[in-house]
Amino acid sequence: MKYYTPSSLSELNDLFLQTNNSKITILSGGTDILPRWEEGITLPKHLIDLKKINSISGIVEHDNKIIIGALTTVQDIYKSELIKTKYTALHQAASQFAGVQIRHRATIGGNICNASPAGDLLPGLYVHNAMIELTGPNGTRKLPINKCITGVGKTTLNNNEIVSAVILEKTEELSVFYKLGLRQSMAISVVNFAIAYRQTSPNLFDLQSIAAGAVAPTVVYLKEFTKAVNEGLPLEKAISLIEHDISPIDDIRASADYRKTVLKNLLTHKLKELYV
Amino acid sequence: MLHIENPEYYTITLTVNGKELEKSVPSHMRLLDLLRNELHFTGAKEVCSEGECGACTIFMDSKTVNSCLILAVEADKSEIITIEGFPKENSLTELQQEFIDHHSVQCGYCIPGMVLSGEQILKDHENPDRMEIKKELSGNICRCTGYHKIVDAIEHAGHK
Repeated sequence: MKYYTPSSLSELNDLFLQTNNSKITILSGGTDILPRWEEGITLPKHLIDLKKINSISGIVEHDNKIIIGALTTVQDIYKSELIKTKYTALHQAASQFAGVQIRHRATIGGNICNASPAGDLLPGLYVHNAMIELTGPNGTRKLPINKCITGVGKTTLNNNEIVSAVILEKTEELSVFYKLGLRQSMAISVVNFAIAYRQTSPNLFDLQSIAAGAVAPTVVYLKEFTKAVNEGLPLEKAISLIEHDISPIDDIRASADYRKTVLKNLLTHKLKELYV
Repeated sequence: MLHIENPEYYTITLTVNGKELEKSVPSHMRLLDLLRNELHFTGAKEVCSEGECGACTIFMDSKTVNSCLILAVEADKSEIITIEGFPKENSLTELQQEFIDHHSVQCGYCIPGMVLSGEQILKDHENPDRMEIKKELSGNICRCTGYHKIVDAIEHAGHK
């Protein structure tokens, strides 16, 4: 396994061209890749470590946008005051993400590229309409996050592209994140979801969007349900509409039925908290 | 330990417990294996090999990390402190003394990781409460289930 540490995006692009058509793995925090190797997955021929590319790390404000570099760690997201006040769902997800040691290494770019249906940062990115910046030898392009992640472990990245940044519009929308794991911390989500809403008057909210994880191959927007609630349908009646958008499965952590039921109950509970 | 045919070797320089070192390591060698098998710092333990248990916790550039989830080549130019790097100059840290005073050690296997995670908690929180301590210790598992006294030790060290 050849190991490379490009220090800029142009060096990275040169490497992509040099190693064309061979087996490349991109390394950022490594917290998902190394356990896979331990399980016996063959190591790649070329391992490209992004961590020396300083230009894709850190959180910056730019005009009416917040740009989160792909190498920004989950712990840095957790500690950012800006994320805490403006993108609360993302802050809350980071605070419940694995344990401290993993948060010190795991990156937002890695969480996106890993494309786990249960990825904890993802619902918050979905409800805040995050744009994902992809960079490769052919330049840069941007995709909405739901067009970037297409299935379990699947993304629309080309072979020689990396996620370089996450772009969030500045917004007056508020958001919350909720996660159910099999224990309080250090757990993979059984279900998770984020809600973005606008406060229209002291006791009135307008739902913007709801995204749920671990109930379909990717994080999904609960569109029908959100629309019905905004149109005034009582929560108890509207909640069954989430079934239009979810397709949970049985796995080692929970059954499909459990996921469906618990998502309905938790979502109803959380929305009642908001509406009271 | 990871295995591979035809390993590629790279030279890295790093500081381990205050000592500067230069080592030639295969690209697939984990930092944990470098520390234990080559440098003989056996304080960090291997248990789960997937970042769940925290027995391999070390400080890398002043942050706790799982050394089973990091390649040795990634540690180039970094500063590593293992449990052997605490205490400095043969005196216990306050937290280590609290672990002794509260009888926090049973089989001892998780303790190097627990102490280092405890030191990180005391760095991040002034006077942490029990809930904060438990949450921040969630990346460390004690299979003797002796958590109560470990939390006691960290809580008391935080009061000082």
